[in-house]
Amino acid sequence: MLYNLDQFVTLIHFLLENESIILSMPINGDLWKIRHLINDCSSTHINTDNEFINYLQQFNQISSQSLQFNKTLDTFHKITLFNMPTLQFINIVNILILKERLSGNSISIDATPKFNKTLEQLLEPSQPQKIEYTHEQLLLLSFQNESSILKTLLNKPTAKTILTKQRAKLKTPIQPFYQVCDDINHNYSLASIALNNKKETYNSKNLQEHLIHKKIQQSKSNLNQEVYKCYCEKIHFLPIINNHTDLTLGDCSYLDTCHKMRNCRYLHYFTLNPLPRQKQQQQVIKSYDYTIDDCFTENFRPILPPQWIECDVRKLPFSTLGKFAAIISDPAWDIHMSLPYSTCKDDELLELPMQELCDEGIIMLWVTGRSIEIGRKALVKWGYKVSDEMIWIKLNQLKRTIVTGRTGHWLNHSKEHLLVGIKGNPIWLNTKIDLDLVISNTRETSRKPDEFYDIVERLVGKHSRKLEIFGRDHNTRPGWLTIGNQLKGVSLYEPEVKLKYNMYINKQK
Amino acid sequence: MSYTYNKFGSRSTTTKINPPTTSTTEIPDVKLDYNNNYVHTNVNPISYIKNIQNPVDGYPKLIKLHQLKKQQINVHATQAYGKRVETDQIIPVLNSWIKLGLKFDVIMIGALVDNQFILPILNSLPINKLCSKPGFLFIWASTEKIKELTKLLNENELNKKFRRSEEIVFLPIDKNSKYYPNQEDNVGLFENQQWHCWMCITGTVRRSTDGDLIHCNIDTDLQIQNNLENNAVPDLIYKICENFSNSNRRLHIIPSKLDENHYIKLRKGWVIMSPDILLDNFDVIKYNDELYQKSMIKRQDNKDQFLIQVTNEIEQLRPKTPK
Repeated sequence: MLYNLDQFVTLIHFLLENESIILSMPINGDLWKIRHLINDCSSTHINTDNEFINYLQQFNQISSQSLQFNKTLDTFHKITLFNMPTLQFINIVNILILKERLSGNSISIDATPKFNKTLEQLLEPSQPQKIEYTHEQLLLLSFQNESSILKTLLNKPTAKTILTKQRAKLKTPIQPFYQVCDDINHNYSLASIALNNKKETYNSKNLQEHLIHKKIQQSKSNLNQEVYKCYCEKIHFLPIINNHTDLTLGDCSYLDTCHKMRNCRYLHYFTLNPLPRQKQQQQVIKSYDYTIDDCFTENFRPILPPQWIECDVRKLPFSTLGKFAAIISDPAWDIHMSLPYSTCKDDELLELPMQELCDEGIIMLWVTGRSIEIGRKALVKWGYKVSDEMIWIKLNQLKRTIVTGRTGHWLNHSKEHLLVGIKGNPIWLNTKIDLDLVISNTRETSRKPDEFYDIVERLVGKHSRKLEIFGRDHNTRPGWLTIGNQLKGVSLYEPEVKLKYNMYINKQK
Repeated sequence: MSYTYNKFGSRSTTTKINPPTTSTTEIPDVKLDYNNNYVHTNVNPISYIKNIQNPVDGYPKLIKLHQLKKQQINVHATQAYGKRVETDQIIPVLNSWIKLGLKFDVIMIGALVDNQFILPILNSLPINKLCSKPGFLFIWASTEKIKELTKLLNENELNKKFRRSEEIVFLPIDKNSKYYPNQEDNVGLFENQQWHCWMCITGTVRRSTDGDLIHCNIDTDLQIQNNLENNAVPDLIYKICENFSNSNRRLHIIPSKLDENHYIKLRKGWVIMSPDILLDNFDVIKYNDELYQKSMIKRQDNKDQFLIQVTNEIEQLRPKTPK
């Protein structure tokens, strides 16, 4: 059938008004949907899809093909949803012209205002445009005048962080933890009971903790109740006042690590820990459902005993050792100091083929002031990216930072630095559980805190292979392989490493 | 000798020495593991450090020395100066000062805020002309910025003139502190709470002989927030600079605007330059006059220096290099 010109007016208005809606989701230019939409808003009723196609063909003829479809617009013998063409483009300008013609006007430039506007924008991009939404306006709209909410949101830990933290909490055995008493009077009144024998010269060697506890418990009645309660709960540092102690000098810089304790005139202290209340209950390591990034045998697989190899690190072929998830190293940097062990030249350290030891994982490298730059260079050379700079805050016996003793060249040093490097894209790491610092008492010269091992284990998992380079006897630990020239002998459990190491030794012979 | 291992890996020898025979209760060795405690309680290990309020607690000589130094610094210090300069005008203003012959012995750049324009300033400023010799530079860096600054200090000409000598770390007391670093752009493996301040030295100073210029080993390279201030730079760090260098000409450049959490507190003895500073009272002539009045000293080599006079008592108390 042939349609009357008037019967197209509704279609023209419909297309002009809804151009973008028709072409986008959910209509997507599907003709069967468009037909129903047109029927809803027009008096001309089109009953079948073939009728509609016919209608559109005629419209295209008078509007110089303003509608474009994905296939030729033909009527079908049997029409289905699948072989029907879809509308893909609407030439608005052509339709506008048609609209003008139908209303009897001649075509003028004014008749295509929309087109002109578009063209102007295309031709003159330098013309300042009116920005409808600024960053501030968007913030205002989304966060009701409180842009700090956005910052707070961004600063919030992710769900993964929260879960891994929670898991670390469940899996890390609780170590006994006590507060330290701040009240100097408590310390003095406890000392007046426990360390009151004027004839005796006290030092850490002849003081036995259990005897002091016994003494205090015997004279419980002489003690202020509050002091006794505090004694049961907190750690106290009892001043040891001997005849040679000169109180005006203040505390000894070395306290419990002092070598001349027998006649040191500075004040020393005895650490009195509270008695454990009850037998610590055996902590059960439970299994947990949240095992993402964990080894699935985590809960029942035993941890390998400590392994170590006494060797010259520079000569041992690293291919015998295999690959590791975490490497920790405390090289004896050559810093022109007379230390009781031989130091390692910077170049020698940089030349180590460390890249062989790890494909994806982390490294922790202890550095000193001057060697921090060499350390950075070394990490980059070995294929790592420096991700964190951790510090170890050194505490003395009294849980104070170390402030005396000319420990640095210009300023005193109360911390040491540890560079952390990351290689590859280890998405299996449990990040952000720990802080980038460790606070711990000093021990023997150059001995580093054990807390770092726990941090690494939380980060890479208990069963990941872990290596320590330049380790000493006290560094060997279950789950870790330690190499260095100050270790004694060889102890290996992993069959492959054992085999390769024996092959290497046999070849040497 | 054989070893036994307990579950957590600490090792003990089987040949134990003198087990307490008289005691009925075995007393285990208590080692406070603050990181373990942090995992379980979320209490920041820093809060257990006992000398945060008074770092030199227990050392009467050091307490006295700090007191005396503070007094002496105060006696010689110029009044607090502020110079309000927009970020893009900092370099031109500094260049005009250089033309006038103005020099500083202690220059601090940056503050405890993210998004500082420290690199551009360092790159375009002829810092060796602004800084006297010997001179001391203190540069702030967030953990993120360290990499870029390291590169600059290693490659740039700066490296030949300024030697990186110490790395001062400042720690906020806990998460609620205004100084707690933003974690949003922390790509590291650990929660980060350090601020780094590098101390660089130019020219020749010897700690054994130049006791009139510098006093070493008075402060430490680690400072922990001990009050609720929220200055752009904590007093503790200004104090390190003042205690270390006896020079009286100190400049602090804060290149960018601060966020709502921080403000700039003026400090006696310092010229502070920033787009954000309220007081704009700096005047080269007035400053020079004041320096001559308060701290002109002729050194052995007959050179004028603006130094803080070292008293005998301070000289006696301060840590010295053994002869």
